[in-house]
Amino acid sequence: MRRWVPFLLAALGLALAQGEKLKACFIYVGPVGDAGWTYAHDLGRKKAEAALPWLETRYVESVPEAQALPVIERFVREGCKVIFATSFGYGEAVLEAAKKYPDVLFAHATGVRRAPNVATYMADFYQVYYLNGLAAGALSRTGKVGYVAAYPIPEVKRHINAFALGVRAVNPKAQVLVRWINAWYDPAKAREATEALLAQGADVFAFTEDSPTVIQTAARKGAYAFGHYTPMLKFAPDHVVSGQIVHWEVIYTDFLKKVKEGVYTAKNLENVDYFWLLKQGAVEMGADYGVPINPKHVPLLQKARMSVGGRQVAVYDRILALLKDMSGPNPSFDPFTGPIRDRKGVVRIPAGRKATLQELLTLEWAAPGVVGDWPGEPR
Amino acid sequence: MEEALLRAVLFGTPLLLASLGALLGERSGVVNLGVEGIMALAALAAFAVALWASPPLGLLAGVGVGVLGGVFLGFFAVTLRANQFVAGLAVAALGLGASGLLGKRYEGVPLEHPLPEGGLALLALLLALGLHHLLYRTRFGLHLRSVGENPRAADLFGVSVDGVRYGALALGGGLIGLAGAYLSLAYRPSWTDGMTAGLGWVAVALVILAAWEPLRAVLGAYLFGLLFFLQFRLQGSLPIPSEAFAAMPYLLVILVLALSGRARAPKALGQPFERGR
Repeated sequence: MRRWVPFLLAALGLALAQGEKLKACFIYVGPVGDAGWTYAHDLGRKKAEAALPWLETRYVESVPEAQALPVIERFVREGCKVIFATSFGYGEAVLEAAKKYPDVLFAHATGVRRAPNVATYMADFYQVYYLNGLAAGALSRTGKVGYVAAYPIPEVKRHINAFALGVRAVNPKAQVLVRWINAWYDPAKAREATEALLAQGADVFAFTEDSPTVIQTAARKGAYAFGHYTPMLKFAPDHVVSGQIVHWEVIYTDFLKKVKEGVYTAKNLENVDYFWLLKQGAVEMGADYGVPINPKHVPLLQKARMSVGGRQVAVYDRILALLKDMSGPNPSFDPFTGPIRDRKGVVRIPAGRKATLQELLTLEWAAPGVVGDWPGEPR
Repeated sequence: MEEALLRAVLFGTPLLLASLGALLGERSGVVNLGVEGIMALAALAAFAVALWASPPLGLLAGVGVGVLGGVFLGFFAVTLRANQFVAGLAVAALGLGASGLLGKRYEGVPLEHPLPEGGLALLALLLALGLHHLLYRTRFGLHLRSVGENPRAADLFGVSVDGVRYGALALGGGLIGLAGAYLSLAYRPSWTDGMTAGLGWVAVALVILAAWEPLRAVLGAYLFGLLFFLQFRLQGSLPIPSEAFAAMPYLLVILVLALSGRARAPKALGQPFERGR
């Protein structure tokens, strides 16, 4: 009997140590392996786990929205204390599960509805899109910039508008040609939409789709492109200028730390909404990690000029200055600062004020210069 | 306009190859619903071998995996006489799942030297003509058609029903594999999980719309390719919502092929053959 005591103690110790770990679980809408949305969330999960020794994580990938609730229930049975739902479409299931399991903390990415134990979070690209728009406006020779867009929802519209405002700030006559593919991931549609835009004269591209297809297609015809979501420089080293890169781990680490410290509980998440930007390091402007602009294109952007407050400055300098400003603790610049009219001439943001978070989250109008179908455009 | 025709051919090519592959098996009487999965697995194999060795070898690997996929389906559908629809769906699911699982390390990897799309598109067209010739001008074609129409009679005349069906599935699988390789080595050119994105199912539908005729499959695939491109080319210039545009390729291809002739399936399609019954 006595011989077993050390083993029992060891087992007990192990069990206790295990018990101290915080278990966070992730539901992904797509397969982990792609270069897009789910891949980036999983990268964030891994980095958070590496940074927080007391954290234990688990995930289930490719969960259709209708299957979310059973997966959440399985997570709860397995002892998950925090559950991250990483798709807009999981909203209903999250709110339902939150009611059923009031002791579990939920966080819903891109979500809009909260509850005492449901927070919402988003790493948003609109500032980065504006900066990339500046570069796009400077690089386009035809004055036609292509945008291959996923779904016509406020998030995507906000990004296209920020991009278009940037393009127009450099080249007031430029057009941003938008094509909707109505899919988050569909390489064939992305390819053919890009081909269609190339045929119409677009020579610079940005997009929302979870594969490097737009970049690869643009590069074949010598057109410039901006990567999306993860670093995509390697897919076209001569043609990727910059891009939007996400850092979900910044949000995950912050959230989980606060749960561990007891700042966040299952009763006080009603007002917890992360809408994190450059300032918090949740997003990055870059062709690759740490490469804001592909060095190959820096000379072109240094040569290109734009007017800022009546003064001529190099586009390159402007981009870096604004990037620095918006990455700092107290940004003075915001792309959605009035006066901003939509493409029909209606004032959307009055002079002298910035768009509110609510305005940004519900944005439906199209910026001047945007050309193409725009479902849900206000009259 | 030139652009649109080019896109019709270049995007029509994987559809053409995959539907030719399914068509071949179906003319012998075996329904092939495994196209999507075989295509996905072949795309992965082609890409992996292209990285290790070279893109031409990758192409061969894609074809090889396609042949294996066809034989695999044959084992269930021909030898075990399983329900062909169930067997096909299982192959589709298995191929998609396996490619996703095995392909993780190839995601986010660029392919330095893609294969030329134009050359492969020409090859696909020649294969369609060749398949037409094979079906209507060769002894194997005669056997294949008779096995698909009346396996009992073919058997009485000394044709090996099982042998012909295996042959048709293997050859067809090779074509489907070529379609997958085209996607990952030329059309994309890179690999991600789920990159076939339903093209295999479109190909399965095209076989029926093309009334099991290789030359009509050419028409159907190119027409689909053309309309698929045009939905984006015309989006915004006509007052039609983008969602409605997205349905256009499917609707118009069905309409055109439905109007251009009656479809008649091989009589023994979907029926397992057992001697003496």
